[in-house]
Amino acid sequence: MLLQCRNITYRYPHGDALVFNDLNCRLADPGFHGLFGPSGVGKSTLARIIAGEISGFAGEIKRRDRAGILYSCNTERLPGWSSVGVHLTKVTPAAHLPLLQELISAFDLGSCIDSRFSQLSLGQKNRANLTRYLLQDFDLLIMDESLANVDEATRKQIIVTIKRMFPDKYFLYISHSVAEVATFCARIFMLRDIHKSPQLIEVAGRDHHGDTVMDRTALERTMLEIVHAA
Amino acid sequence: MLHKRISQFLIIYFLGLGLLLAIKYCFGLSDYVIPGFIDIQNTAAAVAVGYLRAVLDTLGVAVIGHLLAIALATVVAIVGRPDNLLGTMIKTAAYNLQAYPIVAVAPIIFILLGDGLPSRLLIAAIICYFPLLLSFIGILGEPVASIEHFYVMTGRMRWQLEVKIRAFENMHKLITVVTGSATLAMVGTIVAEFIGADSGIGYSLRIALYQSDMAKVLVALFLIGVFNSLYLVALELLGLVIQKKMGVEQRIQQ
Amino acid sequence: MNCTPTRLVFLLCLSFLVPLLFGCQQRGEEPGQELSYRLKWLYNINTAGDLYALEHGFFTSRNLRVVVKPGGPERDAIRELELGRAQFGVASADQVIRALAKGSPIVVIAQLFQQNPLQWIYRSGGAAYASPLELRGKTVGITYGGNDETIMHALLAKYQIAPSEVNLFSVRYDYAPFYLGEVDLWPIYRNAEGIVIAEKMAQAGEETGFFAPDLFDVRFVANSVVTTRKMVEEQPDLVRKFRDALLNGWQEALAPANAARTIALVHAHDQVTTEETIAKQLAATRQLMLPENGRMGSIDVVAWQQTEKIMLEQGVIDSPVAIEKALLTDGL
Repeated sequence: MLLQCRNITYRYPHGDALVFNDLNCRLADPGFHGLFGPSGVGKSTLARIIAGEISGFAGEIKRRDRAGILYSCNTERLPGWSSVGVHLTKVTPAAHLPLLQELISAFDLGSCIDSRFSQLSLGQKNRANLTRYLLQDFDLLIMDESLANVDEATRKQIIVTIKRMFPDKYFLYISHSVAEVATFCARIFMLRDIHKSPQLIEVAGRDHHGDTVMDRTALERTMLEIVHAA
Repeated sequence: MLHKRISQFLIIYFLGLGLLLAIKYCFGLSDYVIPGFIDIQNTAAAVAVGYLRAVLDTLGVAVIGHLLAIALATVVAIVGRPDNLLGTMIKTAAYNLQAYPIVAVAPIIFILLGDGLPSRLLIAAIICYFPLLLSFIGILGEPVASIEHFYVMTGRMRWQLEVKIRAFENMHKLITVVTGSATLAMVGTIVAEFIGADSGIGYSLRIALYQSDMAKVLVALFLIGVFNSLYLVALELLGLVIQKKMGVEQRIQQ
Repeated sequence: MNCTPTRLVFLLCLSFLVPLLFGCQQRGEEPGQELSYRLKWLYNINTAGDLYALEHGFFTSRNLRVVVKPGGPERDAIRELELGRAQFGVASADQVIRALAKGSPIVVIAQLFQQNPLQWIYRSGGAAYASPLELRGKTVGITYGGNDETIMHALLAKYQIAPSEVNLFSVRYDYAPFYLGEVDLWPIYRNAEGIVIAEKMAQAGEETGFFAPDLFDVRFVANSVVTTRKMVEEQPDLVRKFRDALLNGWQEALAPANAARTIALVHAHDQVTTEETIAKQLAATRQLMLPENGRMGSIDVVAWQQTEKIMLEQGVIDSPVAIEKALLTDGL
């Protein structure tokens, strides 16, 4: 087990209302998992609490010893003084350099590798940012809408590639797309409004790897389950 | 850029001169109160070389003082950047000290250091130091979360990288504040010379005022304006070169 | 009102010019109107007679409402006369001659100092400078751009001393270089700071002397009372009354019998200087201002002409100004 959250209670620093109340969750098995819920319910906040960026909450988070947890989001930028390629090379640990080339190819970044970050399209920016995180040493990578500006087909290809290239890693994918989380996630953590109990429930996803034809009926059933759980 | 700055200055200068001459002829004032155009011309011919040397002297001191102030402000801003005790103390001191009228301290500096180069340099540096420091502290103390986050997350963040990120992202602001403080440096040097030095255009101005020679004052003001404009243009050009070299581009906010 | 840019510019210009127009009008055109009298410096011993005249009703007894305004480094009485902000003022001879050279329509109605108080203090050790030739090799303080610079250069030229034979030292308000012995001769006003510095040196066990260019035939007139030519031509009576009131005030202020009153009056306006020091300053002023024979305020035409000559030779003015035409030596 990588991570366990117990009785997490939290309110924003300058707010009165609670965001989480006795929230519990467990990330037991590696794989591509989803964190889903309505806008403003606190998905990013929970993700940042798990990543250790936010403190001041009540409750307990148990992490596996020396677990590397990274949090990435789509608003991040690469520094502008060097090209994307130079930056990626610089931040890639030596052992992962072959992986770099594979990801560049898989994420279709070859055409913009020599450009500066500001010259990229939004989709290219998302992919470049995600690439550098994937090249780090981590156990869990939280992707907070990291592919929000990428087109659907490319997003699908990226997720499938991630699942193929990193089968032993944990991913927590935050998305607003019901179909996407239902299709690709193994477990979907449904974060609900503070007034609902439990605030977080788990739904099984289809965990599609892209190598087989998706069972449409099963997918629809999963999507319905997600919608009803919200 | 150069012709724009110079022409802006010339327009303002000659408008001002025109207004003075209009007042002179409207009210029949003598050359002692407001000199005529011929008087100004003759005076300019008589003092041009001396005043040119003086204004270059002043400009040299202003530039060095300005550079000193930039260097010191950079160091102090880097040290005062974090939100720890030292950083808070530095920020508080900077905000409070900048309200001090430095021109009131200038005579004390002259008494302690004499009227040579060190005093003029120190006063020029002090006068433009605090506005620079406040801006630098603001810029270098403000996180650029969108870029710094990755480095913090992956344990790669160092203070040098943090400073580099914040400086790069705010290069426009830094260049603007450095260019803006250049005029302060020039003004500071002239004021210092006026108060207590024995060289420079400020000193020449003091003598001219002592002699109630308005023509000399106008010639001095002209030269000060021209060379100050040239200095500003040089700084703006340097800023453009730096930005181009570092790859700073005009970005549309997303 | 429809404020187009053109109208706005016009209104702005008007709002600037109208006050200026009123400001430049001559005041005191009618008897009983307020008259502004701008002094050369701050209130000190050199303004004793001005204050005495005001305090003891010399102006009011002649139906004059006079406002005495202190001067300072940023004040120029001649400029204020031309701009109509003052009707009378105190200016030094070099200021007057420089102004006349630039076409300023001013006249001198009285000369306050018969001997120039601008002298140089030195450590005498019991001996005095017998001749300006002894200045060779000495460090002499001068205010660059000031009349002491002009006087010193005139002295050196008269005695054929090359400027390179004397070490000229630029001075300001800080006397430390003199106290520390870096400068041999320091320019002072004999009757003002000269007394103060001499006292300080005496307390430190050092004797001082005063080097007076007047004694070596370099006569440079000092403070004088001025007004505009228009004032003299259009209101001679007013000018005469003012001059008489002022000079009477000076006469009484300098009279030994009135010393206590003068000292108290000056001290009331110059509280930094002790009454004891003011008493010594008053004695020195008396010697410099009162002529051996003649009236208080008499104008020494020869001294004025020499002053003009010195300024011409030093290049301070480009051409002669015929100073005698600007001196009101006859009765009004």
